[in-house]
Amino acid sequence: MSETENDDKKSAEIAENKDTAESAKSAGKQIYELGYLLVPTIAEENAPALFGNLKELVVSFGGEIISSEMPRMIRLAYVMAKTIDNVKNKFDTAYFGWIKFEAEKSAVAEIKKKLDANTDLIRFLITKTVRENTLAPKKFSGGGSSRYRGSAEHKEEKEPSAPMDEEKVDKEIEALVTEAA
Amino acid sequence: MKQDYFSANNIKYIDYKDVEILKRFLNANGKIVNHKRSGITSKNQRKLATAIKNARFMGLLPFVAK
Repeated sequence: MSETENDDKKSAEIAENKDTAESAKSAGKQIYELGYLLVPTIAEENAPALFGNLKELVVSFGGEIISSEMPRMIRLAYVMAKTIDNVKNKFDTAYFGWIKFEAEKSAVAEIKKKLDANTDLIRFLITKTVRENTLAPKKFSGGGSSRYRGSAEHKEEKEPSAPMDEEKVDKEIEALVTEAA
Repeated sequence: MKQDYFSANNIKYIDYKDVEILKRFLNANGKIVNHKRSGITSKNQRKLATAIKNARFMGLLPFVAK
């Protein structure tokens, strides 16, 4: 009895999800990504607060945040200039972060207006994107997986080339040792 | 690189933040390598060009490398 109830609930939930997805489509929603550069003059501990403000800004215009990355200090590939209070400031470092969100097409224009007035941002970029994670997964130790498998017997030789996975390798070696014993 | 790098690695959306991948398609001066050398499909070459240009704007890649 209880099982069927649960099933009913589940199906109802699925139906709801479908409804929301459909309504999102009909309302002209689109996935966007906001990439931004924060001025390096702000303190390290204040960066997360500004990041929170940006998130709030997106949410206040009906945006639904999908994923995001905390701003982190990067070296810029070239010197950027931004005029703040009629003073031209040059920057060669900045905090780079991004927020992926779903919002109405009209809302994005409003968000852009707000960001234009924000003096903490050197630059920002709003792009259309997809819901899925677009960053390719990092490969381990540079080599392909097939090469790694092929050299399972010569694990000791391979070890230095995979410093990132030391713990994993250790565990694997332990497992092998116990197997052999 | 004879085969299309992006379809070989199952990359459907070329992200401007993925600098390590984009760097493969720049020459020593920071220019985008041409179709012939990159060996990727025309469709992906266009997307790649956009991604690199976005990355340049955000200071992740250089416009000109010395």
